Amino acid sequence: MTALGRQVWGLTIPAVAWAAHFIAIYALISAACAPRGLIDIPLMFGLGIVATVLFGIAALWPTIRPPKGAALTGAVRVGGLIFAVAILFDVLPLIFSSGCGG
Amino acid sequence: MTAVDEPQSYSGTRKGEPDKTIEEVWAQPTGLRWWSSVSHRVVGKRFIYTGFAFFIIAGFLALLVRTQLIVPGNTFLDNETYNQVFTMHGTLMMFLFAIPILEGFAVYLIPMMLGARDLIFPRLEQFGYYCYLFGGIIVLSSFLFDAAPDGGWFMYVPLTTNAFTPGVSADFWLIGITFAEIASVTAAVELIVAILCARAPGMSLTKMPIFAWYILITAFMIAIGFPPLIIGSILLEANRLLGLPFFDPTVGGDPLLWQHLFWLFGHPEVYIIFLPAAGMVATILPTFVGKPLFGYGFVVAAVISMGFISFGLWAHHMFTTGLPILSLSLFSAASTMVAVPTGVQIFAFIATLAQGRPRMTTPMLFVMGFLFIFVLGGLTGVMLASVPFNWQAHDSYFVVAHLHYVLIGGMVFPLFAAFYYWAPHITGRMMSERLGKWVFWLMFIGFNATFFLMHVTGLRGMPRRIATYPEGIGWDRLNLLSTLGSYILAAGVALFIFDFIRHLRHGERAGRDPWRAGTMEWLYPTVAIGFNFHAIPPVETREPLWNNPNMLGKNAEDVEGVMRKMHDGRRETIGCDPVSGSPVQIVRLPHPTFTPMFTAFALAVAFAATIASAYFVAIAGIVAGLLGFTIWAWEPSDSGVTRDAGMGYVLPVNMIEKRSHMHIATVGTMLVLYALLGSLIFALLYLWNVYPNFAAQTAQPNLLWTGLSMLAGLVLLILAMINRRVAVADRIGLATVMNLAVILASIACTACLALAIQRTDPWGTALGATMWATLGFVALNLFITLYWALFNAARKVTGRVGAGQSLPDFNLATYAKGTAVMVLITGGLFLAATLGGLS
Repeated sequence: MTALGRQVWGLTIPAVAWAAHFIAIYALISAACAPRGLIDIPLMFGLGIVATVLFGIAALWPTIRPPKGAALTGAVRVGGLIFAVAILFDVLPLIFSSGCGG
Repeated sequence: MTAVDEPQSYSGTRKGEPDKTIEEVWAQPTGLRWWSSVSHRVVGKRFIYTGFAFFIIAGFLALLVRTQLIVPGNTFLDNETYNQVFTMHGTLMMFLFAIPILEGFAVYLIPMMLGARDLIFPRLEQFGYYCYLFGGIIVLSSFLFDAAPDGGWFMYVPLTTNAFTPGVSADFWLIGITFAEIASVTAAVELIVAILCARAPGMSLTKMPIFAWYILITAFMIAIGFPPLIIGSILLEANRLLGLPFFDPTVGGDPLLWQHLFWLFGHPEVYIIFLPAAGMVATILPTFVGKPLFGYGFVVAAVISMGFISFGLWAHHMFTTGLPILSLSLFSAASTMVAVPTGVQIFAFIATLAQGRPRMTTPMLFVMGFLFIFVLGGLTGVMLASVPFNWQAHDSYFVVAHLHYVLIGGMVFPLFAAFYYWAPHITGRMMSERLGKWVFWLMFIGFNATFFLMHVTGLRGMPRRIATYPEGIGWDRLNLLSTLGSYILAAGVALFIFDFIRHLRHGERAGRDPWRAGTMEWLYPTVAIGFNFHAIPPVETREPLWNNPNMLGKNAEDVEGVMRKMHDGRRETIGCDPVSGSPVQIVRLPHPTFTPMFTAFALAVAFAATIASAYFVAIAGIVAGLLGFTIWAWEPSDSGVTRDAGMGYVLPVNMIEKRSHMHIATVGTMLVLYALLGSLIFALLYLWNVYPNFAAQTAQPNLLWTGLSMLAGLVLLILAMINRRVAVADRIGLATVMNLAVILASIACTACLALAIQRTDPWGTALGATMWATLGFVALNLFITLYWALFNAARKVTGRVGAGQSLPDFNLATYAKGTAVMVLITGGLFLAATLGGLS
C-alpha cells in the first residue's frame, strides 16, 4: 500500500472507531434503561469502559504513530485526536451518572 | 498502427463519430432537444435555478408568516392557512432549496475543478434533476387542491396520521418529498464516484481542491443520512394507506419512532447543508486573500470528523420527550463535541484571512457575514446542547433564532457569496459590485433585525408555530421589529434578483479568471465550450492556475494534457485511481437522451397516482419506469478495447475491476441500501426493546423456513462470488448459466423469508408490521437482483455481449453479494426471534 493509502486509512480508522463506540454506548444505555431492561447498570458501565478503552486506542493510534510519507500527516494527527476526545466525551455520562436517571 | 488509429477494433461497441470535431461531439442540443441535455453544466444550472425559484417561493411564505405576526391578535391569516404556510416554508427551504441548490453547484463545479470533461454518470444526473423537479411540483401542487401539508416540516405523528390529518395533505408531503429525495441520493452517489474516479492525472486526494473534500464528505452523509427519513416516510405512508400500526401505541407502536427516524436524518441534514457552503467559503477566501487555505490538512480532518460526529446528535431534538437522562447526557456530550471540528474550520478561515490583505469584494462581504452570523448561531447551538437550558428554550422562538442563524448564516450567506463569485463563470458577465454591496448590507441588517430579536422573544416565552398572540405580554414590539427586519432582508434578495437580471445584458464582460482564482474551473474563458477540457492537464498542486504558469499563459485549448489526440468521436474523459489520481481507464460518457426524463416522469405519475388513490395508474407508472431503466441500460458495451490517451497512457475503456467507476457506484448504492436496511433494523430493535409486552404478542418466525432462508442466502452469496470469477474469466456461456442460478436463488430467498413470518400478523402489532416491512425491503432488493440477472442473461443470449465486456456481470456480482448478506442479516434476526423468543 502507498503512503497516501495508509494515510487515508489513518483518517478512516478513528472515524469508524468513534462510530462503533457511539453505537456501543447508545446500545448499552438502551439495553439498560429501556423497559426491557436487558442488562443492569454495573454491566453497562463495565462494558462501556471496555468499549472506550478499545475504541479509544484505535482512534488514538494514528495520532501517536501517523503513517508518514505523504501530505496528510497533519490531518491524520488532528483527526485521530478529535475522535479520541469525542470518544471520551461520549463515555462521560456513564462515568458521572449513577443510574438511568428517570 | 497505434490504438488511436484503430477505431474499427471496437468489439461490439458503438462506433462513435470519428469524423466530427470534439466541439461537434460535445455540442449541446438545441430547441426542444435542449431538455435532453445531460451536460453537467446544463443540469447543474437547472438545479441552481430551480432551487432558487423554490427559495423565492419559500421566502414569500416566510413573509406571510412574519406579516401575520406583526401585531398581536392579527387576522391576516387564519389558523389553518398559517399552519400550511409555515409548514411549506420549512419544507421548501430544507428539502427543495437548500440541498438541491448546493448539489447543483457541486454538479456544475466539481468536474471542472477536478479536471473531468463531464460528470461521471450524466444520465443519472438528468434523472435526478427531473425527480427533483417533479417531486417539487407534486409538493407545491398541494396548494392547488387546498391540501397543503400543515403538520410542520417534521410531520410529527400522531398529528400526521389519518386520525388527526384526514385527506391527502400529509400524503402530498410524504410522497412528494420522498420522490424529490431520490434526486439527492442519486446526486450523492454520482458525486462520490465523480470525485473518487474522475480527476486529472496526478491529482491525488491531497491535491484535490478543498471544495471537493467538502462535497465528498457531504455526499457520503447524504447517502447515509437520507435513508432513515425515506424509511420513516414509507412507514408513515403505509400507516396512512394500509393502516399498518408502526406508530400506534395501542399495539406496540411508538410516535417517538418517527421522531428518531426523522432526526436521524434531520440533524445530519443541518451539516449536509452547512458543509458544501463552508466548502464554498474555503474556496472563495483564498482567492481574495491571495494565499492558499491555511491548514488544508486540519480542515480535511475537521470535515471528516464533523461528517461522522453529526450523526450522533439526533436526539438533542428530543430532549423533552421523556428519554432517560443518561441518553440525554450522551447526546448532550456529542452535541457539544461537534463544536470542536466546527471551530477548527472557523479558525482555519480566520487564519487564512490573517495571511494577507483581503480584497473586500461582494463575495468577500458575504463570507465575512457568514463568519459573523454562523459563529453566533454555533454559540447558541452549544447553549441548546445543554439539557437544562434546552428544556427551557425548547419549541420557543429562541430555537427559531438559533436555527436561522445557523442555516442562513451557514448556508445562505455563503450561497450569495457563491452567486456573486461564480456568476461570471455561468453568464460571462460581472454582477455589479455597487449593487452587490447594497444587497449584502440589506440582507445583513435585515437578517439580524429579524432573528437576533427572536432570541429575546423566545426567552420571554413565545412558543413556535402559534398563529397569533395576545398583546401586552412583552412580545409586541419584538415581533413588529422582527417583521420589519424580514422586509429589509427580502428587499436585499429582491435587489439581488434585479442585479442578476440586469447583469445578463449590461454587466461588464468577465474575461478569463476575473477574480484571479487558483482552481481549474477558471482555466477557460467564461461561458466556455460545452465540455470542459480539450486536453486534461496533469495537476501537481492544489491551486494549479497559481502554480503552473503554462495554464493561464497560453490559450486554454492549447494547454497540454491527456486525451488531446484521441478522436474516437465519443464523449469520454479520464478515469483515475481513487487515492493516487493516476489515470487507469477511459470513461465513455453518454450523449443527450430523453430516456432519464421519461423514466422520472413515469415514476412521478406513479407517485402522484398513489396520492390520488389511482392504483392501476400507479402500477402502470412503475412498469413504465422499469421499462425506462431497461431502455437506459440496454446499450452496446464500451468495454473491451484499449486506447492511447497520450502522454504515455494506454488505457482500457470502462475497465472491469474494483476501481472501475461503475463498480464504485455499485458499492456506493449498496451503502445507501444498507443505510435503509439499518433504519428498519433500528425500528425493529427499538420496538422490541421498548414494548416487550407487545413483542411477546407477536407470532415468532417459523424455524424451518428461517433456516432455509439463511441457507438460500448463503447459496446466493456463493453464486455471486462464482459469478464474479466467471465474469473476470470472460466466459460468456457460463456467465449466462450463473445469471439463471442467481435468479433461482433470489426467488428461493424471497419465498423462504415470506414463509418464515407467514403467521406474523402485520396489523396485529407494530413489531409484526416492521418485520413485514423489513421483508418487503429485502424482497425488493432480491427482485432487483433477479431483474438485473435476467437483463444480463438476455443481453448475452441476444449476442449483445462480446469478449471483454463482462462489466455488468462484475457489478451484478457485487450487488448480489450485498443482497445475500441482507438475507443473512434478516434471517439472523428472525432466527434470534425464533430461538430467543420475542418476549
